[in-house]
Amino acid sequence: MSSRLTRATGTSLIGVAERRSSRSLLAMLAPIALVAAALALVPLWLGGSRVMMGVALLGLAFAGYAIGFNLIFGSTGQLFLCVGALAGVAGYGGAILADRGGLPILVSILLATLAAGLVGGLLSWIAVRRSLGVIFTGIITLIFSLTFENLLFGLGQLTGGEAGFQISSGAGTFLRELTPGYYLMLALVVLFLVVHGLLRRSHIGWGFRALRDDGVAAELTGVNVARYRVYAALIGAAMLGLAGATYAFTRGRISPTTFGFTQVDVVVLVMLAFGGIGSLLGPILGAVTFTAINEVLIGFGELRLLAYGALIIILFLWIPRGVIPTLGGLWRRRPSSSVDPPDDTPAPARREPG
Amino acid sequence: MTAIILDGIVLGLQFGLLAAGLTLVYGLGGVLNLAFGEMAVITAMVVLFAMEAGVPAAPAVGLGLVAGGLLGLVFDLTILRPVYRRKHEARVLLSLLLTLGVAFMVEGLLNWRYPLKALSLQIGGGAIEILGVPMRRGSLLASAITLVALGGLFLFFRSTALGRAIRSVIEDEEGAQLVGIDPHLMLRLILILSGVLAALVAVTRSMVTPVNVKAGFGITVFALIVTVVGGLGTVSGAFLAGVILGVVSSIAASYIGTFLSLVILLMAAALTILIRPSGLLGVRE
Repeated sequence: MSSRLTRATGTSLIGVAERRSSRSLLAMLAPIALVAAALALVPLWLGGSRVMMGVALLGLAFAGYAIGFNLIFGSTGQLFLCVGALAGVAGYGGAILADRGGLPILVSILLATLAAGLVGGLLSWIAVRRSLGVIFTGIITLIFSLTFENLLFGLGQLTGGEAGFQISSGAGTFLRELTPGYYLMLALVVLFLVVHGLLRRSHIGWGFRALRDDGVAAELTGVNVARYRVYAALIGAAMLGLAGATYAFTRGRISPTTFGFTQVDVVVLVMLAFGGIGSLLGPILGAVTFTAINEVLIGFGELRLLAYGALIIILFLWIPRGVIPTLGGLWRRRPSSSVDPPDDTPAPARREPG
Repeated sequence: MTAIILDGIVLGLQFGLLAAGLTLVYGLGGVLNLAFGEMAVITAMVVLFAMEAGVPAAPAVGLGLVAGGLLGLVFDLTILRPVYRRKHEARVLLSLLLTLGVAFMVEGLLNWRYPLKALSLQIGGGAIEILGVPMRRGSLLASAITLVALGGLFLFFRSTALGRAIRSVIEDEEGAQLVGIDPHLMLRLILILSGVLAALVAVTRSMVTPVNVKAGFGITVFALIVTVVGGLGTVSGAFLAGVILGVVSSIAASYIGTFLSLVILLMAAALTILIRPSGLLGVRE
C-alpha cells in the first residue's frame, strides 16, 4: 500500500486546466460547434491546393490523436507513450483486413478501431493490476511502441516493411479525394470532442477528475480508480485507432513513419502541452497551432526538431498548464478572481522547498 | 552456438555499460535522463573532431571522457535545477520531459549541422580465437574496456569512502544527510560520472559499429530498458540485465532475423518488468 500511495500522488504535474462543468449542455456544445464551423471553412480557403489540403487532413488526424491521448493522460494521468503505435495498430490492421482479408472498408475500420481500443485497455489493465506508476506505465507503453515498430519491419511481407503499404481498397472512391476526406476526419474530431465532453459531465468524468487530482483520496472515498483508468484507456485508444485507420484510408499509403514514435507521440505531447493538458479544446488549439508552425518551419528541416525540443522545455518549465489556459486564466483573473479560486491556483506549480 | 553466446556477451556488456550511467542517476536522484544517448553522441563528435584536427586516438578519447564529465556537470547546473525542486514522481516526470526536450534540441542541431558525421574507431589486426571462435579485435577491446570500467565502478562503490557515501544516499537520502553527507554534491558527482560513462559508451561502441549523429535515441532507449530490467540504482543489476538481454537478443537474431529478435528482446524486458517491477537486482520498496 505504501508504494501505491507514493506512486498515485505524483501526477500533480498534469494540468488542472479543466473548469468546473456545472454548466449546461449547451455551454459545452457551443464551443465545439464554433470550432467545428471554423475548421469546416478551411477547405474553402485551401481547397485549391492538394498539398495544403493534405497538410490540413494530417492536422485533423493529429487533433484526433491529441484528444484520445488527452483522455488517457490528461484525464486519468496514464502516460501512454504509444499514441502512434495504437493509431498504427488500427491503421495497419484496417489496411490489412481490407486489402488482404477482402472485408468492406467500413467493417475493417470498425474492427481495427476495436482492436486498438482493446490493446489500449489491455495495456492500462496491466498497468493498473501491477500498480505501475506514471513512469513505469510510460516505459511499458514505450516498449510496446518499439515492439510494434519492429514488427512492422519484421513482418515485411504483410506490412510492406520500410517501403510502406499501398492500400488498394477505396482507391478511386470519395475517400481518396482530399476535401471529402477532410470533412470525414472533421466529423470524427467533433465526435471525439462531444464524447469527451459528455464523459466529463457524467459520473465517469467526476471519477476521472477525482483520481487525477488525488488518486489515493479518490480510492479512499470509493472511486474505483482501476476501472476508470481502464475505461479511459479503452475509449481513448479507440479514438486513436479510429483516427489512425481513417487517416490510412484517406491517404491510401502508410509507412512505419506515419505512426512512428518521434513523428507522432512527441508531436502530440507538444500539442497537448501547448493547448493545455486535460482541457477539452486544448488538443484542437494545439493541433491547429502546430500544424501551422510545422508548415512555416518545413524549410528548416532538422532544425524543426530543435524547435520542438526547446518548446517542450519552455512549456513544461514555465507554462505547465498550457499556453491557452494560462492566457485564459490571466484574462479571467482580473474581472472575477473570487468566483472560482480553487481552479485558478492549480497544483502543478506546487513547489516544495529544498 | 558458442559463437552466438560470445556475441551476445559482447553485446550485453555494451548494454550494461549503457545502463550503468542511467541507473546511478535514477537511483540516486530520481532523475531520468533521456538525453543520455545524446550525451554519448556529443562526446563521440568531440573525439571525432579532435582526431580530424590531428590529435592521436588515445588523447582524443581522453578529451571525449573529459567532455562527457563536463556535460554531466552542465546538466546538473542548468536543466536539472528546476527538477531538483520537485519530489518523487513529479520529479521523475519533469526530468523525463525536460531531458527529452534537450535530446531533441541536440539531435536537431547535430543533424542539421553535421548530418553525415560518424565516429568509427578502427582497431587493426586480425581476429583472435576465443574458445575456438574467431572474435574481432574491436569487439574484444570494447568488452575489455567495459569490464575494466565495471570493475572500477565496483571497487569505487565498495571500497572508497566517497563510493560508500554515494551508496548511502541511494539507500536512504535523509539518513545520509543526518550523518553529514550532502546529497546534492553526491548527485553532482554522479552526473559527472554518468557523463564520463556516456563518453565510454560512445568510444567502445564506435569500436564495433560507427556512432553517427542519429544514434542517440537508440542508445537512450536501450539504456532505459536495461536499467529498468536490472533494477534502478544497481550497477551490477544493470550488467546482469545487459548480458542476459544481449544473449537473448543474439540467440534470437541468429535464428529469426534482426527485427523480430528486437521484438523478442523487448518482450523479455516487458515481462521482467511486469513480473518483477523492482528489477532483477532491485530492492523492493
